[in-house]
Amino acid sequence: MSRLPRLPDTPPPGPFRPAFWRSPLRGPWLTAAIGSVLLVLVGIVALTGFLSHAAYQPDLGGNALIDRGKDLPLTFFDWPSSPTFLYAITQGLHVNVGLVAIPFLLAKLWSVIPRLFAWPPVASPAQAIERLSIALLVSSAVFEFATGVLNMQYWYAFKFGFLSAHYYGGVVFVASLALHVAVKSPVILRAYRERGVLRPLRDDLARTRPEPADPHGGLAPTAPAEPTLSRRGLFAVVGAGSLVLLIGNVGETIGGPLRRLALFAPRRQVIGPGPNDFQVNKTAVAAGIKPEMTGAGYRLALVVDGRELSLSREELLAMPQHTARLPIACVEGWTTTQEWTGVRLADLARLAGAPDPDSAFVRSLQPRGVLSMVTLNTGQVADPDSLLALKVNGADLSPDHGFPARIIVPAQPGVHNTKWVATIDFRSA
Amino acid sequence: MARIRALYGASPLHLLAHLVALPLAAFALLQLARSGTAVAIFTWLVAGVLLHDFVLLPFYGALDRLGRRATGAAVNYVRVPALISGLLLIVFIGTISGKGGGVFHGVSGLDYEGYFGRWLLVTAALFVASGLVYLLRGRGGGSRS
Repeated sequence: MSRLPRLPDTPPPGPFRPAFWRSPLRGPWLTAAIGSVLLVLVGIVALTGFLSHAAYQPDLGGNALIDRGKDLPLTFFDWPSSPTFLYAITQGLHVNVGLVAIPFLLAKLWSVIPRLFAWPPVASPAQAIERLSIALLVSSAVFEFATGVLNMQYWYAFKFGFLSAHYYGGVVFVASLALHVAVKSPVILRAYRERGVLRPLRDDLARTRPEPADPHGGLAPTAPAEPTLSRRGLFAVVGAGSLVLLIGNVGETIGGPLRRLALFAPRRQVIGPGPNDFQVNKTAVAAGIKPEMTGAGYRLALVVDGRELSLSREELLAMPQHTARLPIACVEGWTTTQEWTGVRLADLARLAGAPDPDSAFVRSLQPRGVLSMVTLNTGQVADPDSLLALKVNGADLSPDHGFPARIIVPAQPGVHNTKWVATIDFRSA
Repeated sequence: MARIRALYGASPLHLLAHLVALPLAAFALLQLARSGTAVAIFTWLVAGVLLHDFVLLPFYGALDRLGRRATGAAVNYVRVPALISGLLLIVFIGTISGKGGGVFHGVSGLDYEGYFGRWLLVTAALFVASGLVYLLRGRGGGSRS
């Protein structure tokens, strides 16, 4: 054994002594049980997180928000354009299941806190490398949840770009989590074998006993206090916390009458009864759109191979109009579904002389910003519900919703529905 | 095999799993390190876990000990609403504190209104509900969980 020579065998007083940790509920079974629930939840959050990255189609045009080729090669497929609510579902799950996971994460960390003060701190090379991986796991977990929660509430307390930090933090988290589950699987399986998967949940408070103290694991207490809560009581409290967080937010994802029920979410306001009275991701003023840019002089430019076709809004209105009920689903987890009317992108492509383009590069009048443009894939341009919308709920678009014309494509991230469209360049390979 | 186990302290599979996963994590950390704001990112990575392990957890642990001393057998009727209220506060700190309100107004044209008041009301409602359960159960005598 390569024990570090200078440390005494007896731990210093305080949290390094096993008797310091007295909760009678801590033990391998409790940690395994909380961890199993947490694993399912963060599995959903991680999967939908990477799906969101793919939904931005970083391999097309100027879509990449993280340096292209530096992300994981998981964006090899074209993001589909149906079902229409696809991104609303995946991103709604990402944010809301993320919230649900927080109480379980806190409970999990509480259940293993004695291990932070293991003595000796490092007993072998194996333990050293494992503690390093645990440090990565816990720090990336706290980082991912903290940055995600702050971002969805528009509090940029951090002085770094959210997207790339949250993405790479997610990679650290998933790698160290997979490792942790692999390394701990014998301990988890032993806990379930010895105590049953659900059996400890049958005990009420009077029958709640500590798990047997285990000198190697260090989770179960050596000097347990009297229980004040059963294990099922603990699960009930943690679950209740998750439920309250979910109720406090999910209305902004579902929309409709439930929106007001989202007591703590940013996008809970029902603005008014008018056709344009729904949530705005970014106002015209914030985007730098001036009235003179969208006035009578406005022309949409359709580009194919450098040839340009210029159309006024009246000419667009004279084309065949199509109506579709489609959501705007934002990366922050809120959604609003409206009835959009306008010209099919496929019709515009045909008119411009590119009936089957591989992609469409859309540019906004918005002078700045990484999201003032988007490249749409083949299927998105061809989808019969993909529109250059001129109206919403039967009325002209308001300036904040993209007047004179905006993109609305089913199933894609909200910000890719470019507003104040200036040019559409239909491209073929 | 036994020699590796004695020297390393675990099975070779343990080492192998680490050698697969840690390079992947290192790749992502390297991308973060290349960013112009690497110092801020790594500060947050380290500060987050330190704040949780050495501030938040000891803090709610101490509050819980105080609560147990003050309320005895009825502790859960205080503990549960307090925990849920605290959870709401730390998770929705951006809206409840109004700190996200400036950026939110800038992008959406709307304001954060009434979040702090709603949090107080929800907190009060949680304690009222808990108090009612306490009374209905005969002052803790019938506590089942």
